[in-house]
Parts: sequence; structure tokens; C-alpha cells
Amino acid sequence: MKSMVKVQKASIGKRLIKFWPLYVMLLPCIIYYILIKYVPMAGLLLAFKDYSYKKGIFGSPWVGWRYFETFFTSYDCTRLIKNTLVVGLIKCILEFPFAIILALMLNEVRNMKFKKVTQTITYLPHFLSTVIIITMLQRILAPGDGVLNQIIAQMGGSGDTFFLMESKYFYQILFSMDLWRNIGWDSIIYLAAIAGVDSSLYEAAEMDGCGKLKRMWHITLPGIRGTIGLLFIMGIGGLLSSGFEQIYLLRTPGNMDLADTLDVYVVRIGLLGGQFGYATAIGLIQGIVGLIMVVTANKICKKITEVSLW
Amino acid sequence: MSKMQHLQKGTKVKRSPGERIIQVIIYLVLIAICLLIVLPCLNVLALAFNDGKDAARGGVYFWPRTFTLENFQEVFKNKGIIRGYGITIARTLIGTFLSLLLLSLAAFALKEKELPGRTFINFMITFTMLFGGGTVPTYIQYRKLGLLNNFWVYVIPGLFSVTYLMMMRTFFEGIPDSLEESAKLDGCGYFGIYAKIMMPLSKPVIAVVGLYTAVGHWNDWFSGAFYMMDTKKWPVQTVLQQMLNKAMSQQQITSVAQAIASAGGVTSNALKMAAVVVTTVPILCVYPFIQKYFAQGTMIGAVKG
Repeated sequence: MKSMVKVQKASIGKRLIKFWPLYVMLLPCIIYYILIKYVPMAGLLLAFKDYSYKKGIFGSPWVGWRYFETFFTSYDCTRLIKNTLVVGLIKCILEFPFAIILALMLNEVRNMKFKKVTQTITYLPHFLSTVIIITMLQRILAPGDGVLNQIIAQMGGSGDTFFLMESKYFYQILFSMDLWRNIGWDSIIYLAAIAGVDSSLYEAAEMDGCGKLKRMWHITLPGIRGTIGLLFIMGIGGLLSSGFEQIYLLRTPGNMDLADTLDVYVVRIGLLGGQFGYATAIGLIQGIVGLIMVVTANKICKKITEVSLW
Repeated sequence: MSKMQHLQKGTKVKRSPGERIIQVIIYLVLIAICLLIVLPCLNVLALAFNDGKDAARGGVYFWPRTFTLENFQEVFKNKGIIRGYGITIARTLIGTFLSLLLLSLAAFALKEKELPGRTFINFMITFTMLFGGGTVPTYIQYRKLGLLNNFWVYVIPGLFSVTYLMMMRTFFEGIPDSLEESAKLDGCGYFGIYAKIMMPLSKPVIAVVGLYTAVGHWNDWFSGAFYMMDTKKWPVQTVLQQMLNKAMSQQQITSVAQAIASAGGVTSNALKMAAVVVTTVPILCVYPFIQKYFAQGTMIGAVKG
């Protein structure tokens, strides 16, 4: 203990010398974060510039707020923001309770073998790539010989619905696909949190004649509200930029009007269309709104549940 | 302890009919969820092992009707897919190894509480989780670094991850300081402590992070699709994505028409299903080994992230 105090009092210069091997170890990490993360952050200046390949980001002429004005007055703007918000709400809010419910149910299972098998199966889809999942989906939902259509046909339906080509099914498909993939994985953390709830509370409740549902509602849920809050904050941060891979891969000529979110649009006009400045401006809006939302959600959450990210 | 057992026994006796119904409902719902996850996978398997033309007639659900291995033979004859596997395996091995090495070195350094600048570095790293340069500036930076059309675009951008760094650091912090102190007294430098004490004791966290990183490499299609113009250097997921892309943009050509147009029993659909199976099997092989670490891994990642 004494030696620790002494070391803390040592001057920065001495500590720098003492720890030099650690800086060598950190060097790749620092270089990585500067080159791969922070230089692109400085590259956000592009949102105010007319990019030319020859002059680079810093040499290109300024255009001020032009891209932002173009975006907010364009016909695409409301449609893109609406699509993005709907997708974000589906993924971050609508799906949110399901993993908690699954965890609560798994927690009630007393047969350990059954529990293990259920967990193994529900965690599995998390490890499949989006490309694989959508290739499977495309086959299962195919008109005519896809399984779903065959079942519909046997039940007396027409059996040739092209689910992926019709925008009215887009949100349902997105929701079920995402839930299918994530429900098990997301439940892990809640299960771990439930395991940490004080078991004497349950015993006391049982003594008082509390039923199963009441115990879940009055003990388990309040017991894990910190975890729920944390995950909620993180979900809010992704509201404007969620599900790029899925939506990009789910896009078909039939559902283009709904499958165009800000993320997809940025890749489309930026990487594929070459409008670098404009795409950067939209990305910047997304990033800043996301940051503000996380900070706000964190503050609110701190007040309500006394838990926060920082 | 005996009191608790007594209580548990007590509940079993006392369990009311209402409670029992709830229990039954819970089991039924869980079984339904499992079926919803397993059945689509079974369908894909059945289609992969079934004759393509035969499958196009419909009626193949969860078990092949006309069993064949032709689809798999066709997958292994497809040059694009085979090359894709080579690239994927190479990037998974190289990327995972480098990630583990550099992540563990950085985490070991950041564990030292008296390191000048530690708080600042930690903040700067964590901040990248909340805000970033976005798609286009990142692309331009990769171009400047010469990463476009370069194999290393699969490895370098994914070298570090805030979550994995936190997982490792948290694990290292749990290793008793006394071990490190005694090594220091024996004249061990920081590199010696890292190699001789930290690494041998950190197998669990190395396993988890390594396997998560490997799965990430295995499943990535984005960097191939957008940073790699040379189709010969595409990883297998990008090859599959391009096949999917083609299928998704074909408007009204039904799979039946496709089946008739293609020669032999192998249709493009059957080929795709076989490719899906071949691409997923390696993940299913490592899955049982990582499963026991899931709970602790996500806990650290979420709480400290």
C-alpha cells in the first residue's frame, strides 16, 4: 500500500520511463484508432466541401451548408427519415420486450436438459451471417415452391404470393427475421441479470403467498431494471442507423419505397453513386442525432433507474 | 441450505393448478420457439440434399425426397465459391491471430492504473463506439491507406474492437497482482510478464474473443462487396451475396422457370442451398465450444462497454 502511494507521487517523467514497454504495446492500438477511426472523423469536413479526388478532403472548395439544404428540401428527405424511424422503432422498441420475456420463461424452466437444449437452439441464429439468413428466407418465401407458399396452397390459399416483392409484407418480414435471429442471444444478458437477483426476496414472496406471475412482476423485473435500462440506452443510440445489412440485402424492386433508409441511401449515393460530399452530410446528421439521443437517453435513464453508461 | 431445500420442496407441494397451467404454457411456448428456429434450417438442409428439378415441383419440406449429393459436387466445382473459401479461411486465420495479439497487448497496457494518459486513451477509444466518421470518409481513408482492392482490407479495419478490448482488460484486472509482483522481483520485464503470466492465465478470454472475431471474419460480406473490385479476391460471403443480389432483382422469373432452363438436376436454387450449408457448417462446428462462455462474455461486454 505504501509503495503504491509512492509510485503515484512519482513525477510523470519517471512514470513515462518506467512504463515505456507498455506504450510500445499500446502503439498499434493508438495508430489504429487514429488512422481508422479519428482521421475519418476529421473527414466529416467533407460534408461542407465539394470533394475532388485530386485536391483531397482539405484542399477541396467549401460549399457551406449546401448539402444539408439540398437534403432537407429534397423529395427523398421525409420518406427516408420516415423509413429509417420505422425500421429503428421496429428493431429497437418493438423487439425489445421479447428477449426479456424469453429470459423470464427460461428462468422458470426447472428441467435443466430442456433448458440447455432450448438455449442452444435459440442462440444459434445469431451466428449465421445476414447473407445466409436472407438466402434462406428468399427460398422459404419463394412464390410457388417456397415452403410458406406451399403450406398456404395446401390450406386453400393461392400459394403464389411473392412476399419479398410486395412492400406490404416488408416490415413483417424484417421484424420476424430480426427477432428470429436475435431473441435468444439478447436473452442471455437478461438471464445473467435474473440470476443475480437476491433469492431471499423470492422466498419471502412465496411465504406471503405470491404467485408465479406476481413474483415475476414484483421481484424479477424490478431486479433487472438496471440491465433493461442499459440495453435500452444502447438501443436508442442505434435508432437512426440500425439494420443496414438486412435492409440492403432485403431490397427488391418491389419494396424499394420502404427499404430505403438513411444508411442504405448513404451507401447507394455515396459508395455506389460517387456523391461523396452529399452522402457524408447525411451520415453526419445521422451520427450527431444518434450521439444526442444516447446522451439524452442516458440522462433520463440515470434519473429513473440510477443506472447509466457513464 | 437445508432451509432452502425445504422451501423448494414446500413449493412443489403447494403449487396451485393455476401455477401448473402457467408452467405448461411456458414449456409449450418455448417448444414453439425452438421449432420456429429449427424448421427453416431443416428445410434448407432438405433442399440442399434433394435433386433440384425434383424440388422445384414442390412438396419437399423437412426431409429430402430424391436424395442426391450432386448439389454439393457442383458447389465444389464452382471456381468462385472455392476461391472464396480460400480467401475466407485466410482472412479468418490471419485476422483472428493479429486481433488477439494486438488486443491483448493493448489491454495489458491499459490495465496498468498508473499509466500516464490512461484515462484519456480509454475515453478516446470508447468514444468511437458512440460516434464515427461514417461510410464515405472511412472509404476515402481506406483508399488513401491503399487498402482498396487489397487483401488487408479484410484484416486491418477489424483489428480492434472496443467491446473485446474491454472484455480482455476486465479479465486481466481479475488476475491477482501478486503474481505480477513476484515476477517483477525475479527480474521479469513487462513483455515477460505478458508472455509468461498473463497469456497462460487468460485462455478463457482469449478463446471467447478469438472465436467471436473468427465468426465475424467468417460472416463478413460488406468489405468484399464495397472495398474489393477484384471479384477473384472476394470472400465466400460476398460471392453468396452477389448470387442473392441477382436472385432478388429478378422480377417475376419464378424458380420453376429457372429450374426448367438449367441443365441437369442441379438448379441454381439447389446450388445456393448447398452453398449455404457448406458455409454454415464450420460455424456449427465451433459453436459448442464457445457456448459455455456466452453468458460471461456478453455480461462484460455490455456492462463495461
